[in-house]
Amino acid sequence: MKTNNAEKFFETITRWPKTVVLISLVMIIFCASFIPTLQKDTRSDAFMPPDHPALVYREKVKEIFGLNDPMVIAVVNNGETGVFNSQTLKLVQWLSDALLDIEAVDADRITSLATENDIVGTQDGMLVEPFFDPYPETQQTADNIRTAVMDFPLYMGSLVADDGKATLIVAELQAQNEAQAVYQKLLTLKEQAPVGPADEIYIAGEGAVSGYMGTYIDNDAKRLNPIAGLIITLMLLIAFRTLRGTLLPNLVVLGTVASALGMMAAFEIPFFIITNALPVVLIGIAVADSIHILSQYYEEAARHPLDSSRQITIRAMKQMWRPITLTSLTTMAGFFGLSLASVMPPMEYFGIFAMLGVAAAWLYSMTVVPAILSLLKLKPSKAFKPSQPIDWFGRRMSSMGAVVIHRPGWVLAVALLVALVGLVGASKMELNEERITIFHEDEDIVSADKVINSKFDGAHYLDIVIETDAEEGLFNPGHLQRIEALQNFVETLPHVNGSTSVVDYLKQMNRAINEDRSDAYQLPLSEELVAQYFLLYSASGNPSDFEQEVDYDYRLANVRIRLDSGRFNFEKEVVEAVEQYIHKHFNTPGIQANLSGRINVDYHWIKRLGESHFGSIGISLILVLLMASITLRSLVAGVITVVPVAFSVLIVYAVMGFANVWLAVGTSMFAAIAIGLGVDFAIHTVERLKVLVREQGKTIDEAIEALYPSTGRALLFNFAALAMGFSVLTTSEVVPLIRFGSLVAVAVTSAFIASLWVIPALIKVFNPRFLRHTSQSFQEQDVPLAAIPQPVTVVTQAQTKPVSE
Amino acid sequence: MKFGTTIIIGFFSFLATFASASELPSGEEIAKHINARDDGIAVSRNVLMEMTDKRGKTRKRETRGFRKYYGSEKRTVIFYLTPRSVKDTAFLTYDYPEANRDDDQWLYLPAARKVRRISASDRGDYFLGTDFTYEDIKLESKVSQQDYQRSTLREELIGGHHTYVVEAITVSKAVAKELGYSKVIQWVDSKIWMTRKAEFYDLRGKLLKTTFTKNIQQVQGIWTSHLLEVNNHNTKHKTRFTFSEVHYDDSINDDLFTERSLRRGL
Repeated sequence: MKTNNAEKFFETITRWPKTVVLISLVMIIFCASFIPTLQKDTRSDAFMPPDHPALVYREKVKEIFGLNDPMVIAVVNNGETGVFNSQTLKLVQWLSDALLDIEAVDADRITSLATENDIVGTQDGMLVEPFFDPYPETQQTADNIRTAVMDFPLYMGSLVADDGKATLIVAELQAQNEAQAVYQKLLTLKEQAPVGPADEIYIAGEGAVSGYMGTYIDNDAKRLNPIAGLIITLMLLIAFRTLRGTLLPNLVVLGTVASALGMMAAFEIPFFIITNALPVVLIGIAVADSIHILSQYYEEAARHPLDSSRQITIRAMKQMWRPITLTSLTTMAGFFGLSLASVMPPMEYFGIFAMLGVAAAWLYSMTVVPAILSLLKLKPSKAFKPSQPIDWFGRRMSSMGAVVIHRPGWVLAVALLVALVGLVGASKMELNEERITIFHEDEDIVSADKVINSKFDGAHYLDIVIETDAEEGLFNPGHLQRIEALQNFVETLPHVNGSTSVVDYLKQMNRAINEDRSDAYQLPLSEELVAQYFLLYSASGNPSDFEQEVDYDYRLANVRIRLDSGRFNFEKEVVEAVEQYIHKHFNTPGIQANLSGRINVDYHWIKRLGESHFGSIGISLILVLLMASITLRSLVAGVITVVPVAFSVLIVYAVMGFANVWLAVGTSMFAAIAIGLGVDFAIHTVERLKVLVREQGKTIDEAIEALYPSTGRALLFNFAALAMGFSVLTTSEVVPLIRFGSLVAVAVTSAFIASLWVIPALIKVFNPRFLRHTSQSFQEQDVPLAAIPQPVTVVTQAQTKPVSE
Repeated sequence: MKFGTTIIIGFFSFLATFASASELPSGEEIAKHINARDDGIAVSRNVLMEMTDKRGKTRKRETRGFRKYYGSEKRTVIFYLTPRSVKDTAFLTYDYPEANRDDDQWLYLPAARKVRRISASDRGDYFLGTDFTYEDIKLESKVSQQDYQRSTLREELIGGHHTYVVEAITVSKAVAKELGYSKVIQWVDSKIWMTRKAEFYDLRGKLLKTTFTKNIQQVQGIWTSHLLEVNNHNTKHKTRFTFSEVHYDDSINDDLFTERSLRRGL
């Protein structure tokens, strides 16, 4: 779009303003109409590409052994008898029964003292019978259950706390996407449960965590996003002190958010947890475009109070279409880079739809804003007085400019120093993740998680899948001993407190068949005996009883390892140690082991994130550099534009490093958002300086001086709107939202400061060619002339072609 | 002839939809007919047990079994023939008619050379890794008259056979919990009084299992099913019992039903 074409374009837009507004409204409503069909996807697994080997393997394992992230209910009784009194045991029964009434709970996969069987040897036989047989009516029966459970090593630490003061009810779901609803139902159950005086109920488990996480973040985001919008509106009121200046940007915001979310819905992309950040980011971007147009509009209005509303609008748009288009393009490049290099589907979609949102913001800013402005009667803003063109905010910005003009070297030195300190901080940043830290410490789920992980072996699972090469391969005593050795090794690792496999059941049966002698708690020594033990067990068990431990033709086995922490760096240590052990000591012809389970998926996921993160930020920066170089037609200009953006990314890392904020799933997107939001300041600054020098023939010092009260003032409000909008998020209770709000505010602040201090200082010190002002430069035409708005012709054209109002 | 029968039955069914249910035999009557059916004092047979899990993996076990009534007490012994790993494993059960008396069960493990008495199973427990419960196995082709309240719903044709569709609802919650069923719907052959198909509903009232009794032939004048199929709709687990070499022989040696015979084997 060249200047003359641009003029024609805005003349067309303002000739049929009502049509433009109508079409825009129809488009907004059309997009918005899809939003109700948006599907939510709050699963942690949604963050991994569905074809990732770790996820694919886990799905396979899940299908074989039916292992799901469970809901875990802990019943704790710190009284003298612990949980082994009739009232508490009845509570366990009550809860186990109540779970049966929840449709989404897999009735066959409820595990508690009330559902499990004891395997015990007698003088002449073996009993496989429920622990709750007889039903614990008296203290005597409760005591008997205690004795039985305490003598069943398999259940100690996994089902019952070692001190007998807590027991678990573990429930698996038929479908993981029901987790949210089931968690809510469990909370209701907790309220209704017939608890004794010393009984406490806690609900946690990976199922509960992921079930609650969605609601938890959604609710706060739903509350805070509108407040952020409100604060930004307030900033607009201060900046323009007019109704249109306040409401018009909000219309663009509406159109932008509706387009992005509507398109997501139309393409059937689900709303992920991190999508909550999209509206507020788009609000910030959409509002920025309007701020610059309105600033120019009011400046023009103050300068030419007698011109028609349409003339003023066209003139303002002719000035602003280029910088707004440039910022939109570079921001889109940044988000495109994010989506291109992201390893997580939700992030990929975030990049794509943020990009589309930016495009929508640009479109509405270019059409509906001038259309409405030209429709409205010209009403000057009190903030832009013809007598005194520079207001208080403009003057503050001018004093900022004075520093650059007089001490550019100092400015650069300070920036360099800050960058160095930033590097130190950034080097302290740690790759880590722990899902439970998403919740505020006062949340029930956090205390439940603590209780369960301290009283029991832990509720974080690593699965080791053993594959033998033949049917009934697991009957081989040599293979079984290998698995036993593996379990013994794994249990020596930090944060590992227990493991379960078919080996443990076989030992228990071997003991039971040998009159319960404790020295018989070992693996059976012949293949036939193993086979016959399984048959023996089936005389009383369910056909699907060992489903979690062995597959149906006894070829595959699962060893479930329990960890007391879900923190990435602990998991990493365990996963890597186990992998090494498997390769060195376990795998032999005939038997192989592979890792699976939630911990293994998380390990690969976070590791992948760590490996790809800096590359993805690099790609974003390079794309921004390319886009800026192309649009500004100078590589040097591109580099100068990227400097403040890179600086703000560095500062984000530094703050994360110093404040001990991990580079994790949520925080990994902050740097990319910092690029998207921060690049606008730099583009506006460079573009304006270019116009001032090359078009209006100012010297660099004059240009810098002129930059601050106008563009600088607009950028100040742009910055204030963003910073305050994101700061609202820090009032949240949700840790990730607080971090998101504060770190993006930090990013925006540093990008703003760097753009307005470092860019002019760089230009003054290095005097780059793209800004070199020579009298010939107009004739030299190293830049296509047509690309430069020419105010002189504009004015003449506007006058010679009178526009009809 | 067959066509004629179909016409007649079809017409009858048509009429039945207009007639009140009282014109059909009552649930109790049908139950009495079923339980009065002769199924021999003693029988020997080979049973091929095939269990298939939801992924289609199958376990096959060939057994030879004997069953004999001692009045209303029932003794059963099963010897495993294959697979090799469980060959000679044997399972002996005494089912007592008294409701309050636990059944006796023993299992012989040849690899340990030990006979082990197994705890009495609950009626709703699964039998040797199959989808049959102990109660299902114990009743064989009979039905329990005290556990259920029966009513006749309608008539239907199953594979060309005229059946009464009987709904049996457990008499109490406690019984339902014990059996694992809240309701059973049976398709009872009106000619030979055998259940050709049955649907079992779990405690939540959801369809849990469907069983089919197939390949019904007369052996020594006794109507005998040679194929039983159960599909568990919840676990997607399936069981198939194929009977062969069925022989009714009242003189089967009582010694077979002893611990000693378990050790001795076939």
